Amino acid sequence: MTVDTSVAAAEPYVPRRARSAVLGKVVLYGLLVAIALLYFVPFAWSVSTSFKTLPDTANFNFIPDPFTTSAWKSVWTDYDFKRYALNSLFLAVVVTALNLFLCSLGGYAFARLRFPGREILFLLVLGTLMIPDQLRLIPVFVMLTNWHLIGNFSGYILINLVTAVNLFFMRQYFLTIPKDFEEAAKLDGAGYFKTFWRVMLPLAAPAIAALAILQFQGTWNDFFWPLILFGQGNEDLYTMQLGLAQFTFTYQTLWPQLMAGSLIAIIPILVIFLIFQRFFIAGVTAAGVKG
Amino acid sequence: MTSASETTPVASRGSLLGARVREAGWGYAFVLLPMAVFGIFFIYPLGYAVYISFHEWGILGKVQGVGTENYHTLFDDPVFRRAVRNTIVYTLVVVPLEMALGLVIALVINARIRGRVFFRSAFYFPSLVSSAAITAIAIYILNANGLLNAIIGSNRSWFGDPDTALWSIVGLNAWTTAGTVMLFYLAALQAIPTDVYEAAAIDGTSRWRTFWRITFPLLKPAHFFVLVVFGIGALKVFDQAFIVSGGTGGPVYSTYTAVLYIYNEAFKSANFGVAASAGVVLFVAIFILTVIQRATIGRTEIG
Repeated sequence: MTVDTSVAAAEPYVPRRARSAVLGKVVLYGLLVAIALLYFVPFAWSVSTSFKTLPDTANFNFIPDPFTTSAWKSVWTDYDFKRYALNSLFLAVVVTALNLFLCSLGGYAFARLRFPGREILFLLVLGTLMIPDQLRLIPVFVMLTNWHLIGNFSGYILINLVTAVNLFFMRQYFLTIPKDFEEAAKLDGAGYFKTFWRVMLPLAAPAIAALAILQFQGTWNDFFWPLILFGQGNEDLYTMQLGLAQFTFTYQTLWPQLMAGSLIAIIPILVIFLIFQRFFIAGVTAAGVKG
Repeated sequence: MTSASETTPVASRGSLLGARVREAGWGYAFVLLPMAVFGIFFIYPLGYAVYISFHEWGILGKVQGVGTENYHTLFDDPVFRRAVRNTIVYTLVVVPLEMALGLVIALVINARIRGRVFFRSAFYFPSLVSSAAITAIAIYILNANGLLNAIIGSNRSWFGDPDTALWSIVGLNAWTTAGTVMLFYLAALQAIPTDVYEAAAIDGTSRWRTFWRITFPLLKPAHFFVLVVFGIGALKVFDQAFIVSGGTGGPVYSTYTAVLYIYNEAFKSANFGVAASAGVVLFVAIFILTVIQRATIGRTEIG
């Protein structure tokens, strides 16, 4: 914004740029329209198709003829998308709640409590960022199999109980809260856990909210770990993304159903994004600044 | 809790030490569970993966130690070589494409257009959507009777043709990821001081030249960050290749990626040892990239 006002402000100095400014506008809006088409058409097309009948998908009319919601109904009831949605919702809620509780607890301790070995332990946490899931996949699968945690949700929840990124951001946030609050709590005779739970956690609510939204989105969208842990013959545990992929393999050409199913996988994220946009965008920008 | 009352009066040396010990005790108590999970599910698996990679390991567990044999098997396996080649080709093409598309979108958004907040969100949105949903939509649009062919007048099955399957995944992921790249570039563009542009405008430098001589070089830290972060991401490509090929990496191995190789060795062939060694190789590749990133970012911050 600031960049452009400066260019515009400079224009009166160089009158011969007037024509090139018009040309610039044309190029700019031409590009914008091209990019917008590139990004909107696929979604618009999938929405349109989801309200079509299968024969109608052979025509390239944008308005469904006839218009029908039968594809939505059939994926929701005939093809188990209701169960996929409930499984994903359950996992996303449980993982988000437990992960943020543990990451806040750890983040608070690393930010505020003094104990020998704190710095080394924190470095260890950051070090886990270097370990890709694709390396953990085999050992974690072997471990969970040995402990009989593959045939249910507990294995998935266990391996997602903490993430270095969430713990790191919680620690950083606790560092910005003035110490006065804790000292006041201490004077009131509150113990360490009570201070954390009753005083610090509410103060960290903005950070928790932002991370919770991102964690929910990540768990809802997760394909890799559900495939590894539930994809080996546990159909009743299928999550939304795993169920959708399975549907893609089996009923690939039932286009209206496939599009309705894809949109069901997208809609919760769209709703969250519309409400909490700034959290998403701020999150990415913060990661970029941190490097 | 009861002991808190002891700390409120001005403490003697003894109770001060007690308070220190108590604080440390609570510190350990707070980090105990998080650290246990990090230890069991992140740090221990790193060593365990290396251990498994030196063993013959089947679905029922360890069979016997085989030294480095799994690594020899891996590098002699034409499927693994193909997977590595596909992954490298994919990465080398998709990252510059994401950068170019992301930068163009960032420049358009950063110009004074109407509804820039709306467009920024709209172009970023695909990055937030699940890979399974986006891939399903892509399969639909790129199928032989799909919308793309209707527009360009072709009848190619883009994911079904070994000549185009990998390139279609490249296009799909560049399209999805460019929105995130755009956000990084936008942040970097907004950090460029405006007086640089004022000077260029007074000199009568054309927009095109201003971009290539001033903006583009000033974005160097952003280029580097995006290159490394998204390069690492590209090496891990899996979901889209798995879904478009039904897990086979086909047609004729054209979408076989390194991570798909790990998956299939483990869950189709039950060669956990070979799968683990492929995981170790991928980890080393990513580790080297990360070290380069850390080293160079440190330098750009100082310089």
